[in-house]
Amino acid sequence: MKTPFPCAGSRALHAPTRREFVYGMGASLGSVALSSLMAEQSAKAGPLTPKDGHVAPRAKRCIFLMMEGGPSHIDTFDPKPTLDRLHLKEFVREGQQKSAMESGKRYYVRSPFEFRQCGESGAWMSEPWQHLAEVADDLCFYRGCQVDSVNHPTAMYQMNCGNRFGGDPAIGSWVTYGLGSVNQDLPGFIVLPELSYPQGGSANWGNGYLPAYYQGTTLRPKGSPILDLQPPEGVTPDIQRANLDLLGQLNQSHYQEHRHHSELLARMESYELAFRMQMQVPEVMNLDNEPDSLKEAYGIGQDETDAFGRKCLLARKLVEQGVRFVQLYAGTWDSHDYIERAHGNLIHQVDQPIAALIKDLKQRGLLEDTLVVWCGEFGRTPDNGVRGGGTAYGRDHNPKAMTIWFAGGGVKAGHTIGLTDDTGMEAVECVHHVRDLHVTLLHLLGLDDNKLTFYHGGRFKQLSQFGGQVIQDLIA
Amino acid sequence: MIRLPICTLAALAIFSGNDLHAASMDAETLAVIRVQPLLKEKCLGCHGDDPDKIKSDYDMRTAEGIFKGGESEVAAVVAKQPDQSPLYLSVLRDHESWEAMPPKDSEALSAEQIAWIKEWIAGGAPWPDEARKAEIAKHADKWLNADGITVATSGALSDEWANRRYKPEDLWAYQPVQKPRIDSGENPVDALLSLHRPQGLDNAPAADARTFIRRATFDLTGLPPTPEEVSTFAAAFDRDADVAVRQLIDRLLDSPHYGERMARHWLDVVRYADSSGFANDYERGNTWRYRDYVIRAFNDDKPYDQFIREQIAGDEVAPDDPEMLVATGFLRMGPWELTGMEVAKVARQRFLDDVTNGVGETFLAHSLQCARCHDHKFDPVPTQDYYAMQAVFGTTQLAERQARFLKEENTAGFEEQAYLEKRRKAYQAELRRINAIQLDAAEAWLKENQIDSAPYQSALARVKTSDGDRPDFGKVRSILVKQGLPEDQIPPRKVGFTPEEYGRERVARKGLERLAWEMDRYQPVAFAVYDGKTPDIKSVYKPMRMPDKPMAKGELEQTAILAGGDPFAPIQEVKPSVLSAVEYFNPECTANIPDTPQGRRKALANWIAHASNPLTTRAITNRLWLWHFGQPIAGNPNNFGSTGKKPTHPELLDFLAAALVEKGWSIKQMHRLIMNSAAYRRSSAHPDPKTLAEKDPLHQSYAAFLPRRLTAEELRDTMLAATGELNPELGGIPVRPEMNLEAALQPRQVMGSFAPAWVPNPKPEQRNRRSIYVQKIRGLRDPFMEVFNEPAPDFSCEAREASTVTPQVFSLFNSQGSSNRSLALAHRVLTEDPDRSDRAVIDRLFQLAYGRDASGDEQQACVEHWKRMTKKQEGLTPHRIESPTEVVREAVEENTGEKFTFTETLFAYQDFVPDLQPADVDARTRALAEVCLVLLNSNEFAYIY
Repeated sequence: MKTPFPCAGSRALHAPTRREFVYGMGASLGSVALSSLMAEQSAKAGPLTPKDGHVAPRAKRCIFLMMEGGPSHIDTFDPKPTLDRLHLKEFVREGQQKSAMESGKRYYVRSPFEFRQCGESGAWMSEPWQHLAEVADDLCFYRGCQVDSVNHPTAMYQMNCGNRFGGDPAIGSWVTYGLGSVNQDLPGFIVLPELSYPQGGSANWGNGYLPAYYQGTTLRPKGSPILDLQPPEGVTPDIQRANLDLLGQLNQSHYQEHRHHSELLARMESYELAFRMQMQVPEVMNLDNEPDSLKEAYGIGQDETDAFGRKCLLARKLVEQGVRFVQLYAGTWDSHDYIERAHGNLIHQVDQPIAALIKDLKQRGLLEDTLVVWCGEFGRTPDNGVRGGGTAYGRDHNPKAMTIWFAGGGVKAGHTIGLTDDTGMEAVECVHHVRDLHVTLLHLLGLDDNKLTFYHGGRFKQLSQFGGQVIQDLIA
Repeated sequence: MIRLPICTLAALAIFSGNDLHAASMDAETLAVIRVQPLLKEKCLGCHGDDPDKIKSDYDMRTAEGIFKGGESEVAAVVAKQPDQSPLYLSVLRDHESWEAMPPKDSEALSAEQIAWIKEWIAGGAPWPDEARKAEIAKHADKWLNADGITVATSGALSDEWANRRYKPEDLWAYQPVQKPRIDSGENPVDALLSLHRPQGLDNAPAADARTFIRRATFDLTGLPPTPEEVSTFAAAFDRDADVAVRQLIDRLLDSPHYGERMARHWLDVVRYADSSGFANDYERGNTWRYRDYVIRAFNDDKPYDQFIREQIAGDEVAPDDPEMLVATGFLRMGPWELTGMEVAKVARQRFLDDVTNGVGETFLAHSLQCARCHDHKFDPVPTQDYYAMQAVFGTTQLAERQARFLKEENTAGFEEQAYLEKRRKAYQAELRRINAIQLDAAEAWLKENQIDSAPYQSALARVKTSDGDRPDFGKVRSILVKQGLPEDQIPPRKVGFTPEEYGRERVARKGLERLAWEMDRYQPVAFAVYDGKTPDIKSVYKPMRMPDKPMAKGELEQTAILAGGDPFAPIQEVKPSVLSAVEYFNPECTANIPDTPQGRRKALANWIAHASNPLTTRAITNRLWLWHFGQPIAGNPNNFGSTGKKPTHPELLDFLAAALVEKGWSIKQMHRLIMNSAAYRRSSAHPDPKTLAEKDPLHQSYAAFLPRRLTAEELRDTMLAATGELNPELGGIPVRPEMNLEAALQPRQVMGSFAPAWVPNPKPEQRNRRSIYVQKIRGLRDPFMEVFNEPAPDFSCEAREASTVTPQVFSLFNSQGSSNRSLALAHRVLTEDPDRSDRAVIDRLFQLAYGRDASGDEQQACVEHWKRMTKKQEGLTPHRIESPTEVVREAVEENTGEKFTFTETLFAYQDFVPDLQPADVDARTRALAEVCLVLLNSNEFAYIY
């Protein structure tokens, strides 16, 4: 059975062929008849059928760890000893581009965390990263990325969709549009959000102007993983099956009078596919059959790490089953105040799960062709208004410097690329706009941003908006 | 017989063919006239324009550089040997060692352009000196005239751009509208469509009465015809189809639901929403008045030119007319906010860019943003024009202005603000509770740290309180800070806070802030603009009112061309003006826009609404065509530029554009013209589908009518119409029907806090209003609407999509909403006439859902299913569905990074009257509801033919 999810076909797919003939037999459209029909569809190309990219891929799939809120590079992976010296000295911001956030007296703030070098590569990590240190040599740190926006939703949109304004397709949509997905029974682009959606909402994983097949499908952490996946209470599977059979029958006689209209067939199929998905999705999401030791490794069962541990393990399961792009959310890292406590807790919540994910992927031989990305929407400033009194240091938003790290397919593991200035205010080496980051991610996945275009609103559009370049320094 | 004007687009196109082949030009001439401009246009962007960022070290600014090549250290041009010249090999795009250039496929060189490069290299790759170049350029016109025409615009950033040649067919939209003359008695629409009908393809016959009334009723009202309307029309259609159709169209145009349907189209284009989007996503309390203004405008058949003037410049046209202030809400429909996180000037620029592009897309079918950073790559829109249009809005300021309610406006239901008052009280109580914790904790902190509490106590005494409230800790603290007490002697700002308090304090404080926006809904205030200086504000956290003296304070903006669109990089000042290419082609369509703070928009509106502005009339008639036929004549209704799709029937588009002006800009007359055509009345079933598919694979012939799926809103409204639950009331404050409960209660981050839950209106008649009245929050889309392709209000939607994706099944087949509608439909049919036979019940269901009786087979299948389901239902006891009155929400607190929970009371749910429930009815009704669910999910229900 290869009908692609979440679509069940489109206008272009339907040539009136053998399938129509079978429908024409007047057979009852019971489940058996229809599944055999759909089996015949397997050879046909759908919107999610796997496709070759434009260049040789270094990775076949992507797990994107989105640390929403803007994690501080200065307190995670980019130590700034200079700030120890400048701590609580006044910081003067120059220029006209000052927002209200940056008004008032400001002071340099040192990181509350100790840093040490990890692994043979000597990657810098702050002390709360305990588990990630074990896989330091698998990571490639990048300190040169810059974005345009200091506001959460606009920066999130830009990191996810290339455009500061919401409504453009997300990178996961572009990737599934370009490559399709291996498993036709599951969505090609899956999002594992936090309980509370990020600022900007679901437009962060929207398909924008790309066809709806490429929309990110959220598997929600609580309640129904997909909204209305199950019918209301009282509608038993046999009632639902009987309803579907009557529906098939009515649709069938309607189709006899409107045989010119091929979308009718697509819509008929979508009901059968949905019926099967009702069973399959809970199976995929069920972690019960995973070994206890593995669940433990991911931090599942421990209060702080359980939620993100589940997401990481689920992400591994999903890519293993052929899902092309999985995006995980953790947040919010928006620590304007009390960064020691807030960042300390957040790092603790994701540290062990992420390390376990990297190890697990590696152990299964998946890491070499899986691209793992860790980032936020921007970095944070070396200074703060010290609003909450002496112990409440935090940091504000900083679009000019951040740390992103990668692991897996095609990246320079064990290297730190790019440099920020002495205080972490601005990237100064290997500096690239986020559009180059997008071009690079697509390139690693075998896609050429300049070829991955879609005609909409009278022009060809692309993820990078108007083209960018591959950041060669990141590529092994 | 059709007489086409001599100077039609088709005629122009004849001159665009390239008569003079490259080979007839010597290599030297070729270099000057073809190759040099081509390299400049296609290559210099990355290979010379910015000398600090030259890609691959290949510097193409000089002849030497061009020949020498780049980092590959291979000569890029080898004279006389194109096949050895990487420059040539790379533009071929398929060479194994040379990367395709230019990198973007969409900018690939044409075969002709590639031939120029080849011929030039083969001819020795000469590179004439300046003197020789000037000599050749003297005679260039004889070559260049064949390339196309130049367009004189207001000014360009470069000479190359100013002298650029355009293919006349790419400029079709700027050409004056030329109305073809139709001498035959045929409907002009049909006559002009037939010009492009493929030979050997016949038209489908007319649709039958039932199909047609369903099509026309949905098209003009967004609702299905009632069974009675269907039978009445069918009888009239039998007597005289033409008369029946004409009368039907007149009746539908008179329906108040006509305005709702047209407004839905319009609001898609202008991006209507009831919230601001972005970080705060504050409610825009008063946009509903703009929505209702649009509905009234269509219902009143307001002349379109007037509709334009009111939306762009209503406040300048009639400042004392509330309606005119409401109309200008159009200018602010895009998402916008100014938070303290952002630079105010950047946010202001976002508004200016948004409104400039919005006006361009909406009225002129021009996506102007392409000219924000540079002269337009493809169209004759210099960046000068972009900023000249923007200068029109340089004195336009945003405000929620006083505007009394009109008698035409629906101001019912304002009593719902009692629920908001309850919420306000709850927030205040929460803040009082937290304050008490802080006061206690402060005393404990002083004691614990052995600090003299006298200053604290005296500050405490100084803070005034009311009605037994304890003093506000924040005020106490700021007294101490002002007294200059050392920080370590003052209780910390967040003393006593656990992660719960951190989170809850924010939720309450920000909740109060958000309430101010929601309460604005009931105020006689318009979401509008005024003329004046740009006020010096750093952030906007509450609705903005208009200053008494708009010219007293702030900056009088001087618009300038901005380098890279950056508001901190002005290059050159510009005066307010319009698109100069339109004036070039249509000399009578000129604008004289004053430089004074007032009156700029009025002058712009008059220019847009000028009868001879060809963009305006073509843009709206193209949309009207789309709204009837499901596809436009020119394929991109928001973009008539050269990269947009060209009109399939240019003569028809021009006829319609001219007719609109002749008919006094009456939109209703245009519907009559279009809908009485044979093309609109045609069946969707073609008698010869094979020939149709062969001759018209792109569905451009209109030989058969194109079916369409109901839109998200139509699906919901049609279900409510079928069940009889639809409340047809017009206008008023936004309504909140139930949405998927998990989505409704989903915690949603907004700046510094969480937005309140979606709480439905308590009464069914409030909830069961048409979908156009449903509150539209940018950050919280109704999953049902979203999955059925309701466009997001971030970008202008030029045409709806209708994809078939599996989550639609979950929404329509599994949701509580569908379940409720099914039960209501079953209940209606069984109770409106208790004596109906089983088969008559099924017939009635089919009439309500499809507008026809059931066939014998269908009757039998449905009755059998009903009986089988009755047996199943008899064994089931449905539970009563309880509505939540509060929700416990879980989230991560940003100051602590720890989880916290808070309880939100859902006040309106306390008075909630649920829809009919399974527990309210017998097994037979519940069983019939299963049949209803199937009908509501069927293809016949979802499609219009």
